[in-house]
Amino acid sequence: MINFAAASAAQPLALILLAPLINGCVKKLKAVLQNRRGASVLQPYWDILKSFRKEEAISETTSWIFRAVPYAVFGATAAACFLVPVAAAAAPFGFAGDLITLVYLLALPRFFTALGGLDAGSAFGGMGSSREVMIASMAEPALIMALFTVGVETGTTQIDAAARILSQGGWTAFSPGAALAFAALFLVLLAECGRLPVDNPATHLELTMVHEAMLLEYSGRSLALIEWASMIKLTLFLTLLANLFLPWGIALEAEAAPLALGVLVYGVKIAALLAVLAVAETSTAKLRLFRVPDFLGAAFVLALLGLLSQGVLRLGL
Amino acid sequence: MAEPALAALDQVASLLGLSEKSAITAHGQIRLSVPLQELPQKAQRLARDGGARLASVIATDERRKNGVFGLRCVFSLDRFGLFVTLEAEVPGAEPGYPSITPGVPAAHAFERENWEFFGLVPAGHPDFKNLLLHEDWPRGLYPLRKDSSQGTRPPRASGQSFHFQRVEGAGVFEIPVGPVHAGIIEPGHFRFSVAGEPIINLEIRLGYVHRGIEKLAEGMDPAAAAGLAERVCGDAAFAHALAYCQAVESLAGAAAPPRAQALRTVFAEMERLYNHLGDIAGIATDVGFAFGAAHMALLREKVLQQNRALAGHRLLKGVAAPGGILKDITAGQSSDLSSFLRRLSEEYAAVERIYLGTDSLMDRAEGAGVLPRQTAADLGGVGPAARACGVDLDLRRDHPYGMYGELDFQVPLRQEGDVAARMLVKMAEFSQSVSIIEQALERLPQGPVMTPVGRLPAGAALGWAESSRGEILDWLEIGREGRIERLKIKSPSFSNWPLLAWAVRDNIVPDFPLINKSFNLSYSGNDR
Repeated sequence: MINFAAASAAQPLALILLAPLINGCVKKLKAVLQNRRGASVLQPYWDILKSFRKEEAISETTSWIFRAVPYAVFGATAAACFLVPVAAAAAPFGFAGDLITLVYLLALPRFFTALGGLDAGSAFGGMGSSREVMIASMAEPALIMALFTVGVETGTTQIDAAARILSQGGWTAFSPGAALAFAALFLVLLAECGRLPVDNPATHLELTMVHEAMLLEYSGRSLALIEWASMIKLTLFLTLLANLFLPWGIALEAEAAPLALGVLVYGVKIAALLAVLAVAETSTAKLRLFRVPDFLGAAFVLALLGLLSQGVLRLGL
Repeated sequence: MAEPALAALDQVASLLGLSEKSAITAHGQIRLSVPLQELPQKAQRLARDGGARLASVIATDERRKNGVFGLRCVFSLDRFGLFVTLEAEVPGAEPGYPSITPGVPAAHAFERENWEFFGLVPAGHPDFKNLLLHEDWPRGLYPLRKDSSQGTRPPRASGQSFHFQRVEGAGVFEIPVGPVHAGIIEPGHFRFSVAGEPIINLEIRLGYVHRGIEKLAEGMDPAAAAGLAERVCGDAAFAHALAYCQAVESLAGAAAPPRAQALRTVFAEMERLYNHLGDIAGIATDVGFAFGAAHMALLREKVLQQNRALAGHRLLKGVAAPGGILKDITAGQSSDLSSFLRRLSEEYAAVERIYLGTDSLMDRAEGAGVLPRQTAADLGGVGPAARACGVDLDLRRDHPYGMYGELDFQVPLRQEGDVAARMLVKMAEFSQSVSIIEQALERLPQGPVMTPVGRLPAGAALGWAESSRGEILDWLEIGREGRIERLKIKSPSFSNWPLLAWAVRDNIVPDFPLINKSFNLSYSGNDR
């Protein structure tokens, strides 16, 4: 008998610690798809470590906000990890928040990053913040709609409970509404995590940047925290996709066998999602900035359709 | 003198109201002396009514000889394959002259440069300010004058300022970018005036990599300066060396042997191949389509390795020299190159299909950075950037050199003038270049690859070559001691940088890098 509380407490820590590895895997996969050798999957760890060791330069024109941003961003993102089930359908702080809390915990870092971009007063930071907020204003409704589709389907906004209910439902849990919401959430992931075709995480062109433009003034430990938080955010979104839409195999009780199976299945699901992400990013060019609203509009409509069809099917509206 | 040249001379003389006697024809160009005060009007007539294109404006310091500055406007009559030079004298004391820019806009950058380097003041220039020298350069020190020696280390001036064009209004912001950029590229400062994302105005400030190459050339042995010419711009090393060597040969009256002419054509096209592949790869990189970029970059690398196998240098440095080339190829190398080109063409065709079939990439390229044809023509645009908006000129066809006159090739032309058109022109030129190399190899004459040039007589001549970016035009003057008196290098980037500022108007800021990449201009080639 394994202590279920202990097992579930390990989950958020695993998310936080494994996030760089997952990012390293995306980069590696993309490199292989481009016929390149690519850096080691462990490279993001070295990058974070390197930044932690470096001296930090802070512009004299900044206020306290600039210095507070990295901690607020990392703190809020790490807190969000405590609400999401990973290998077992349990979240250690599930009692403290639900899907709605999660959405806000994800919005908080964005708000602070945008402030940090503006605070240093450089032209690029302001541009990045303005673009980020424009994108967020359209990604957030789609995110909420997609998550509510699951809420309507399971009758709860508790994420661990939803995963448990869906998993117990077996194949019958699969519904057209969920499929639409899954697609919507994937598009939102691309926008929220600064992936192609919305933002190019590998670009050096400061004029095209969205997320990176806001971070240009950061260095050292602050940069390490923000970059780490972005990696966690991607991992978090992938985990949501895996556990809210493909929940089968998640451990429902604290026995060694189901937990081992849960971990294994989680790994397979994340690997599959990473492959989809890498292929999607490799086969497409970045959208013109003013086309991004169309892209997110599509995500919103998908999520709305998902929610409506769920409503029709489940509630008989 | 050839028949078309006579017809052209006739036409030019009647257009300008000059007697044919005032014209000197030598080294494939017509030279006409005109009084300084009539220069703007004559230049305008030549450009507007004669269909001539201003290719370069050259200033020279002749005060030791006859107390004046020389001012030469080189026009190209592309349909006749002739250059026409209007020559005027600017008084040595208080040098000033009526600007020709109001009538011939293509002269604007040349006149600013001639003011900075010679102190010739163009009266009535609409945008009269520094071009290459910055605020810390002391006023009144004109480095290309003969009384300014090469070793001069001027003190850093302070208190001078540079006025960027100001756009005012509610919600208008300025974005300063550079000169140091996030990527590993050359330095240049870009000042955007934007209202939100749309760009209202862009002003480009260059000169950060000015190395004084034209000053360094003065007093050099003409045979040795080919090595200097190829350092103007690293990825156009061969084209720059070729233009220079042809100027030397024109003065010496010694043509390179036929085999050298054919091999020069081969190397010039190999240079175009790797540059165009790099440019096309860059388009994909800048829109985040790494898959296409990786494959194009791989093909570019293969061409570079082939260059090394052929000439011992990936960027073809040290290959061209006055009188011919320094590197002959064997029959085995020739057949290796032919089979390499066949493989390259096949692989390229596959990657090109991926480009054209990727809607997300073409969607970014189409309609972005449209350059109107008239703007390109007025500002003297050259190369693929001009050909992509319907300005039909290519020195290889219009002023044939090397073996180009004997070969069969097309000059691809498009009308749209957007990023896609510039990319498609380069794609079409890729195939033409492969075909040119194949033809040159098939007809490769036997014989020597070098002819002795000997001591050069005093005089001046033009040399030109079409690099991958467009027209390179060198004006070479040799003094009485057989040494270089003046070398004026006009690179294609110098002609095309002003076009970029027009092409980005009304586009959005995040599209700028893509539009910039579609021109892919050289900073060092512009600054020299």
